[in-house]
Amino acid sequence: MWLGLWLGAIGLATGIIIGLNVPVMLPQAYAKFLSIAALAALDSVFGGIRAAMEDNFDNAIFITGLFSNALLAAGLAYAGDRLGIDLYLAAVVAFGVRLFQNLAIIRRYLLNRSKKGNSH
Amino acid sequence: MNRSIYISILAVFLMFGMLLSFQFRSNGSNGGGVPTERYHELTVEKLKVETDIAQLEEESNDLAVKIADAGRGRTTAAEAMEKELDKIQLRAGLIAVTGPGVEIVVKNDSSAQYGSGFYNIRDENLLLLVNDLRGAGAEAISINGQRILATSEVRQAGNHINVNLVKISPPYNIKAIGNPGQLKSSLEIKDGLVEILAANGVLVEVRQLEQVSVPAYSGGLGFDYAKHVQKG
Repeated sequence: MWLGLWLGAIGLATGIIIGLNVPVMLPQAYAKFLSIAALAALDSVFGGIRAAMEDNFDNAIFITGLFSNALLAAGLAYAGDRLGIDLYLAAVVAFGVRLFQNLAIIRRYLLNRSKKGNSH
Repeated sequence: MNRSIYISILAVFLMFGMLLSFQFRSNGSNGGGVPTERYHELTVEKLKVETDIAQLEEESNDLAVKIADAGRGRTTAAEAMEKELDKIQLRAGLIAVTGPGVEIVVKNDSSAQYGSGFYNIRDENLLLLVNDLRGAGAEAISINGQRILATSEVRQAGNHINVNLVKISPPYNIKAIGNPGQLKSSLEIKDGLVEILAANGVLVEVRQLEQVSVPAYSGGLGFDYAKHVQKG
């Protein structure tokens, strides 16, 4: 559990360093899709943490969820851009709601655990 | 099993970090970035401006052609007017002219029967001469350097004759441009002026010349009373 957390932190730091130093720049037109994909990834990360807290973390679900969410969100944003509808708002709202739900559940687990720890 | 979980966690966070930093960079690179809508708007505007520029360039070319045409039109008009002015000045006698013609010298015959002072050459004699020359197709006539215009007078003033209000005295030198043969023969015809004057003791000498120069009218041209009549 704690090893996973550390690995996550290390991965995040490395990713940020790589992203900041890669000379390739994405065109401005794709920035919206990328931000949606980043939101989907964030949602998956929170989902994974919650699953880990509930002790039913499944690697396959974690990975497929991440990719399907990111692709669907980016695809939705692209389709909305083509049609002239701000469809990416749907993804933003959905992911936002789930983020807060996951965060609330994680918080309760942590609170429960600290209470148990205190009672011991 | 555990290892694959850790690897996937590492990979997902790596990707997430990369996405975040990419996004951060592309948004922070030029003052918060340009929203897609604005981008499209600007593209449309640029296309419109480009078509505007093309249209204006076309218009400018068109106008340049028109200006060139107008300039050409004006120069041809000016040329035509200058030609017309030349022609009119030539006809009015305001330009010195040269060409084939005759030179006539009229003077009292000193070897005449009754002496040189017997008969004074009068204005009528010169007027008749000028009249005959005109009848023979003379295009320009001058008497002692005075160009005969449409308004010129040849008038006796005491012992002298005035032409163009300038006093002239014998010998009278008349120059006329025209067909030399016709001019000469019109004067020397039988019972013509030369004969009549010779009978009165006046010597008239007519010479045909290849080149006769008739000077321009040098006086003033005042039209103080005559005004245009508007046509129509």
